Amino acid sequence: MQGAIVKRPRLITIISIIGFCWVIISLPGVFAPSVKKINDWMPALLGAIRASMFIAFIGIWYMKQWGVRLFISIFFIKEIVFLLIDDSNFLSVILSVFFIVCMLVYYKRMDPNL
Amino acid sequence: MIFLGLFRESILFALHALVVNKLRTFLSLLGITIGIFAIIMVFTVVDSLEQNLRKSVQSLGDDVVFIEKWPWTFGPDYPWWKYMNRPLADYTELDEVLKKCNGAQSAAFVTSARITVKYRSSSIENVTIIMASHQYDKVKNFEIAEGRYFAEIESSAGRPVAIIGDVLAKVLFPNQNGLGQTIKVNGAKVTVIGIFKKEGESILGGSPDTQVLVPVNYARSLIDIRDESLEPQIMVRAKPGISNDDLISELTGLMRSLRKIKPLQEENFALNQTSLISNQFDSLFDIVGIAGWIIGGFSILVGGFGIANIMFVSVKERTNIIGIQKSLGAKNYFILLQFMFESVFLSFIGGLIGLLIVFVITLLAGDSFGMEIVLSKSNVILGFTISILIGVVSGFVPAYTASQLDPVEAIRSN
Repeated sequence: MQGAIVKRPRLITIISIIGFCWVIISLPGVFAPSVKKINDWMPALLGAIRASMFIAFIGIWYMKQWGVRLFISIFFIKEIVFLLIDDSNFLSVILSVFFIVCMLVYYKRMDPNL
Repeated sequence: MIFLGLFRESILFALHALVVNKLRTFLSLLGITIGIFAIIMVFTVVDSLEQNLRKSVQSLGDDVVFIEKWPWTFGPDYPWWKYMNRPLADYTELDEVLKKCNGAQSAAFVTSARITVKYRSSSIENVTIIMASHQYDKVKNFEIAEGRYFAEIESSAGRPVAIIGDVLAKVLFPNQNGLGQTIKVNGAKVTVIGIFKKEGESILGGSPDTQVLVPVNYARSLIDIRDESLEPQIMVRAKPGISNDDLISELTGLMRSLRKIKPLQEENFALNQTSLISNQFDSLFDIVGIAGWIIGGFSILVGGFGIANIMFVSVKERTNIIGIQKSLGAKNYFILLQFMFESVFLSFIGGLIGLLIVFVITLLAGDSFGMEIVLSKSNVILGFTISILIGVVSGFVPAYTASQLDPVEAIRSN
């Protein structure tokens, strides 16, 4: 592997593992019949959000700043979409905000390169 | 421009991988193909069934309430012995509903039976005869292709006239127009004054194509319309702007007063509406959809691992090429996107094959299941979305690994 090797803090490891499990468990859910009923393009939109989140967690796992930036961007996009379809989940927001705070604590120690 | 070049190059790499390692690629794509096929096939069948059911329910009328003895849906511990003793809907109650129900636009007394229809030497047994009062055309959605509906005098005086289904007309009168002909219904002569427009099979049964409609006042002379087995009902259509719930609450009060039910006594009638049927089927379709989605989801998961595997092998095989590309100035994102495109392209082909199989099956199936099975636009979008997303998710880690390779070490590798 190229680039700066930054030792990953235990908290980021735990967050990344929870994140991977969260995305993998929730990814099939975006293709559920109930989502398809909202709009033809809704599974595509939610699927793209989940896939981006998965990529963000890979970036966070490798201690890359782009992972954190991607996660925060996707968090806001996701919440806007969920608010529009009136499906916002308070627990998910709290968990995401907690993840973001933890990531930002270690943000400066992360690699700014791709 | 650089993006297009990258896109072209990635597609060429993917095609090369497909051609050089045919069996490996085929086996890897098979998971995605089976997954997409399973999910989209189930969704296609469920959507087609649902569409067909909605069409059938709509023909019964969304804004129609049915006054009957039996409810259409029962709970797990419904007291059937209580329902058994309920009185049947009565023709005299229709007059009261028409007079006193403010929310009703129209209402009709309807009952049905099985009879034998004859025309000269042709005879058809077990034909459904619908015996209805005059406003039947206002509470039931149907079209008359030839002829006309009953005149008021024909309904009230009980004249021997009938409107018959399209299929029935074609069988009874193969080489002539059935209008004005006299058929025999249970031995009595009836003049055909109209032919229903062909509607095809209904998922709920009872297609008008094979039915005979006669005025209920005429049917009294043929059949005992008070027979319990005929399950008579009063169909009440709500006025525009009146909801079914409002109509039901008005009808409940009216029927309770008509049948002299005391305030604390239970009702001895059922007020049914079509939403009861569609709600029952909605939950069934949801379960079938979820089952298909779980089965297909596992296939796709396995397919995703297959794609990830093929991509790791691809990165390993092309490590020295990656090294050369990077030493010549290729950026990390260029290598990353190159492998990502390849992964998405491979997955896309898997999904495309799956969708093509579904499309071919829908074409072959045609109308053989008594309904048209159509691969809808939403399912095509869903199929492509799933395959592209699986390509992205399963290809990102190998692509990222490739992009992070040290050029010197990469060139040295075999």
